[in-house]
Amino acid sequence: MKREMVLNVNGEEHDVEIEPNRLLLEALREDVGLTGTKEGCSIGVCGACSVIVDGRLVSACLTLAAACEGKKIETIEGLARDGELHPLQRAFVQFGGFQCGICTPGQIMAAKALLDHNPNPTTDQVKEWMSANLCRCTGYYKILESVMAVVEGKVDEGRRDEAVRQARIQSLYQSDTYKSNASD
Amino acid sequence: MSKAENFAVLGQNVDRFEGHDKVTGSAAYVADVFLPGMLTGRILRSPLPHARIRNIDTSRAEKLRGVKAVVTAEDTIKKGWGVFFPDQYPLSVGKARYVGEEVAAVAAIDRDTAEEALELIDIDWEELPAVFDAAEAMQPDAPLIHEEKENNIALTIDVVRGDIDAAFKDSDLVIEDSFESVPQWHSAIETIGSVADYSANGKYTVYMNTQTLFMARMRLATALGVREADVRVIQTAVGGGFGGKSCDDNNAMVAAILARKARRPVKIINTREEEFLAGSRPRVNMKVWMRMGFKKDGRIRAKHMRIIADNGAYSGKAPAITGVAALRHDTCYKYSDVRSEAYLVYTNKIPTGAFRGFGNPSAEFSVEQMMDIAADELGMDPFEMARLNAAEEGYVSPHGNRVISCELRQCIDRTERMIGWKEKRAARKPNRGLGMGCTVHVSGKRHFGDYDGSSATIKMNEDGKAFILSGEGETGQGHWTAMCQIAAEELGVPFSDVAISEADTDLTTFCLGNYASRLTYVAGNAVKNAATAVKEILHETAAEMLECDPSDLVSRDGFIFVKGAEQRSISVADVVRGRQFRRGGAPVVASGSFDADSVSQDALRYGNESGAYNFGCQAAEVEVDPDTGHVKVIQYAVASDCGTVIYPIGAEGQVEGSIAQGLGYALIEGIRMEEGRPVNPNFSDYRLASMRDMPDLVHEFADSYEPTGPFGAKGLGELGMDPVAAIISNAIYDAVGVRIRTLPITEEKVLRALQEKKNGS
Ligand code: FES
Ligand code: FES
Repeated sequence: MKREMVLNVNGEEHDVEIEPNRLLLEALREDVGLTGTKEGCSIGVCGACSVIVDGRLVSACLTLAAACEGKKIETIEGLARDGELHPLQRAFVQFGGFQCGICTPGQIMAAKALLDHNPNPTTDQVKEWMSANLCRCTGYYKILESVMAVVEGKVDEGRRDEAVRQARIQSLYQSDTYKSNASD
Repeated sequence: MSKAENFAVLGQNVDRFEGHDKVTGSAAYVADVFLPGMLTGRILRSPLPHARIRNIDTSRAEKLRGVKAVVTAEDTIKKGWGVFFPDQYPLSVGKARYVGEEVAAVAAIDRDTAEEALELIDIDWEELPAVFDAAEAMQPDAPLIHEEKENNIALTIDVVRGDIDAAFKDSDLVIEDSFESVPQWHSAIETIGSVADYSANGKYTVYMNTQTLFMARMRLATALGVREADVRVIQTAVGGGFGGKSCDDNNAMVAAILARKARRPVKIINTREEEFLAGSRPRVNMKVWMRMGFKKDGRIRAKHMRIIADNGAYSGKAPAITGVAALRHDTCYKYSDVRSEAYLVYTNKIPTGAFRGFGNPSAEFSVEQMMDIAADELGMDPFEMARLNAAEEGYVSPHGNRVISCELRQCIDRTERMIGWKEKRAARKPNRGLGMGCTVHVSGKRHFGDYDGSSATIKMNEDGKAFILSGEGETGQGHWTAMCQIAAEELGVPFSDVAISEADTDLTTFCLGNYASRLTYVAGNAVKNAATAVKEILHETAAEMLECDPSDLVSRDGFIFVKGAEQRSISVADVVRGRQFRRGGAPVVASGSFDADSVSQDALRYGNESGAYNFGCQAAEVEVDPDTGHVKVIQYAVASDCGTVIYPIGAEGQVEGSIAQGLGYALIEGIRMEEGRPVNPNFSDYRLASMRDMPDLVHEFADSYEPTGPFGAKGLGELGMDPVAAIISNAIYDAVGVRIRTLPITEEKVLRALQEKKNGS
């Protein structure tokens, strides 16, 4: 049976009438009408649906909308204020932190959740945290660079020359593991 | 050769054209399209790999409240479609040939209702014997997958150039080996989807996340039995393509058939599971046998390659992909005597298809390992051997590919330096190893009709801003931005004064779309030509207004100046207004076309497949854990020759993304199949690399200029992907002395090989 409830999204109250098993992802996209939150895997693996609920990063594809009643939900649409992009958004544009953009709302929300709690994470902490958000386009180099630019206060500094960019990317990266689930 | 040009806009890291839409969540992808009265479509898929349909009863499904249409093959014209062989139907006709094939579909008011209706469709199946391995499917007694054919071989290639037997006799070293690649799924984070609408006057409008708009329209028209102009395809934002969204699948066909029957818009978005079962067509897996002959000094003398390629149940682009695997790599090194045999074979599995690299990754996984094996046997440094054999300007491959610009040697030198090859080889560390390889790719490919071109229209607004109308579309790689930069450069206006249209088959001229690394080179030339034509019109009017000769004018930063008397100038906006708002006024608008100077392959597969070839060299340093078989990529170095770099962030992004996908292909990506059925078709079983998996990556672009490219540019998008798996395998061999010949190179395989080596077998 559908039930009326109020969802607080980006500081605004929305009246919705939904089934108790309605996922937050569906409620946001179809009932509230905010389609910036994306679906990639539907099983909590890719992070495309990442949103922040009461300060915690959650996968909207695994969260019931009803469980978010009375809580503060933050989505990508709430970041820019009065047409002014959030520093993370500016960084992603300036440092090329996306290509197709389908993972981007989730990447930015994940980064925001991290920086809200810890404005000065190390590169390794960022890598570890952001590893829950898959991207098939970028190889992650420019996503990391974008997030670190915010951490280090490098956003809006203008274009740096390529040698500096390259040196920066290298300094951010050290290799880590590859493990396969594939059979022989 | 490089040619220094003083560019105003090219080479600048401008803000990506559609950047703000993508970082604010306002870019509209196909799942974000909601039309009034829109229904949800769901597809009933074959649960069996090969089975005859005795009967389908949809009556119970039709009666379910909320169901607006149920369709089967009876609602179609039962006509096959396909790029090369029309062997695929929107909905199974008579039998299904793989698990996941579309058999029937439902449109209903919501997803739950549609899914309930699918359960109410009764199918009486007669299961048939199936075959899953391409080599087995070639046997005379194998089950026949397409009855109208004599056997399961979809395509045979046997090309001989030169005197192959004599060349092997003349070789000082002859080596033979076999390799095997696996299917790789594009795994774009956005699945394939479409929203189809059908109007009372008989026109279909289809919103699609396709990379190839006009090709999609052509195929839809064929499958629906209507004319091209009766179908309008509008590209939405595309959440990653990599070849997988080239409309080689049935998603849009089924949506259109449902929309016609329901007379309401229908949306079908593949679930992730459907994407693995029957969505994006995975990379063609190939078994490759090779024999190569070398002279003592390291020169390649002869090459014989035999490929058995797995087509899956329907053909799609696999015939062209097999051709590329057989022949393209011969453009990378200098060859005289080669033989390439290839067999493309039907199996009862998902059709395989186009994925970044288009056959080249399977070929390079083999050839680049053969080169490494030969260097080892000859006691040569692999970099030396690559330099010795590298293609160069003016080289014509045995199959007719004509190389104009080529900086392969420069790429080899740069890579050797970046990875620290000499230093690291001189101070070896235990279980650490280095591997290298070279790569070649095209900038467009002449294989659809005798045409490898593009066109664009540019119209000037009264405020002086230019608007490009193009049907090529943006898939995420940054194409729109690069096109705006090219137009801005040629028109002499700031980047912010250029915008580009969404791709829409009704509003733009015919464009082939996004494949074969063609956009910067082919579409870039068309946009540049359109801009040149617009500039001529602007100069003609400006000359009247400034009372001078058009040939005395130059454009810069949105103004048109008289050369040598720069105080005499006029803004582009004033010129556009001046031309429009007068008696007999006219808009400033012009089109540009370009068709590459490539040559279609003849019956013997001789031709020149592309207008320009891009080259590269890469190297890896790995560390192998002898106790677990775990391979850690320490550093990866890439040098790419893509001519002039138009949009550096975009170009770097192509390299970085290619390497990430290449490393995934080499080390982790694969799916367990049982009887042609993926066991766990999802992202927890099919693992993609994450941020922490990425190695230190160093890359450089060669100093290069392609004379036939727009401002010297050529393609880049696929080049980086092609050799990665071979390079990782070469590095593992260098580290621990075992060579893995099948993909992916899992820990288990490495460990087993190390144990076999220890046991002396
Ligand atoms: S869609 Fe929710 S994690 Fe992938
Ligand atoms: S930008 Fe395409 S998936 Fe991340």
